[in-house]
Amino acid sequence: MRDERSFDEFYRSTSARTLRYGHAVAGDHGEAQDLVQEAYARAWRQWAKLAEHPAPEAWLRLVVSRLAADRFRRLRGWRTAVSRHGPPEDVRPPGEDTVLLVSALRQLPTNQRQALALHYLFDMPVEEIARETGVPTGTVKSWLSRGRSRLAELLPGVSAKELEVNDVA
Amino acid sequence: MSRELDRFYRSLADDTDPRGLIPPDQVRRHADRQARTRVAVGALAAAVLVAGTAVGSHFVLTAGATTPVGPPADTPAPPSVSPAQPATAPSPAAPTGSPRPTGSTSRTAPGTSMSAPGASSSARTPTSIPDRAFFDLAVANSTGMTPAFRSGPVLPALCGAEPGGSGVVQRRARTLAFKLADTPKGYVPDGSYRHSITIYGPGRAVDALAALRKAVRDCPEQEVSGAPGVTSRQRLLDSAGYGDESVLFELRRPFLDVNGQPNGEDEVRLVRAVRIGDVVTVLWEQGWEGTSSPRSQVDADSRRAVDAVRNWWE
Repeated sequence: MRDERSFDEFYRSTSARTLRYGHAVAGDHGEAQDLVQEAYARAWRQWAKLAEHPAPEAWLRLVVSRLAADRFRRLRGWRTAVSRHGPPEDVRPPGEDTVLLVSALRQLPTNQRQALALHYLFDMPVEEIARETGVPTGTVKSWLSRGRSRLAELLPGVSAKELEVNDVA
Repeated sequence: MSRELDRFYRSLADDTDPRGLIPPDQVRRHADRQARTRVAVGALAAAVLVAGTAVGSHFVLTAGATTPVGPPADTPAPPSVSPAQPATAPSPAAPTGSPRPTGSTSRTAPGTSMSAPGASSSARTPTSIPDRAFFDLAVANSTGMTPAFRSGPVLPALCGAEPGGSGVVQRRARTLAFKLADTPKGYVPDGSYRHSITIYGPGRAVDALAALRKAVRDCPEQEVSGAPGVTSRQRLLDSAGYGDESVLFELRRPFLDVNGQPNGEDEVRLVRAVRIGDVVTVLWEQGWEGTSSPRSQVDADSRRAVDAVRNWWE
């Protein structure tokens, strides 16, 4: 039996940061909405079991990551669901930093985006990222290092030297 | 941590938050609707994507056959849905009868010379099945996807039985997706059919349906291929008013979630074989990413399938 209330609580308490994560991994806000909502839909379908999961949010991020890595998902149905919800509220356009970051992230492999998002949005240490992504810590360090270097090339004002000094991956 | 990169990510978070998601109740509703309309491993997508040169259409009306349908190419690994096709160990289908290869993958309608179904004139038995013998979906049910004529099994596995495997003169089969009338354009399909038409030698179509009934009766349960411990249950259902006679049966198995675990619900597949004289047309509803077969839709399309066969002959 799936408990609607506990799912709704989980959704409300985690959806904002999951959407940020989706945005950082997918590199597109609209796509992030689609795949994050799809991930929550999958969570709901098996909520009876997932509610007992020790880390349902990590499970959710895993689904988001893998959906983001798959560009051929049929997620258009969510656009319709969103449109039924009514027109979006007026929101300010994204800031310049966001536009630049998203544009740069699109040039990175998904695994690097994933590692960077977990690091910068969730403050996760390397070991925790390794656990969540199921790869050795050395691999995570490599992803972070390469991702940062590439971002340093693509983003104004980000010094590769500063990254080397301050970022101990 | 780089302060500069941290600033960029903070900006992204700030810009993401105001444009959030739909409320949780809508996510639940949409998810439940998807669950009803998803199929096990989109047989249509697999049929389209799995390589295979369709050569001729003289395949037996038999269960099992080739490789079980795999997941659609667009399904990511962890949230993949398990195959709906409750196939037992595949057994290669051997062509039987004495079919005449006619290049059945051709989309052109070859000339036919035949008798009306039911007439037992073997001298006028047709040797080819034109496109027009296959029904068109109602406009409201059309997904816009082009049906794919492919070889392969035309019945689900039934404990290794091969009903209707003999006496085949000609066969063509296609896979097509459909949507329910109230599903908006742009949604994923609500289901898909494996649709076949088989011409039998005189009197052999009656045998084929009798063999199919027996195969279903003799196979009340079978293990689902690729899902150890998961059982599919088969049973005959009432099916009157279609063609000269018909067989309708269901395959019911637990719906498996993205981790391959049962979620307490069932996934039901409907298969209807209808005989019109010496012709048998089979609609095997294979769903779409886990959907169960909608009975009213299968009934309606069965009628269209029968009408198309009759119009072809007449």
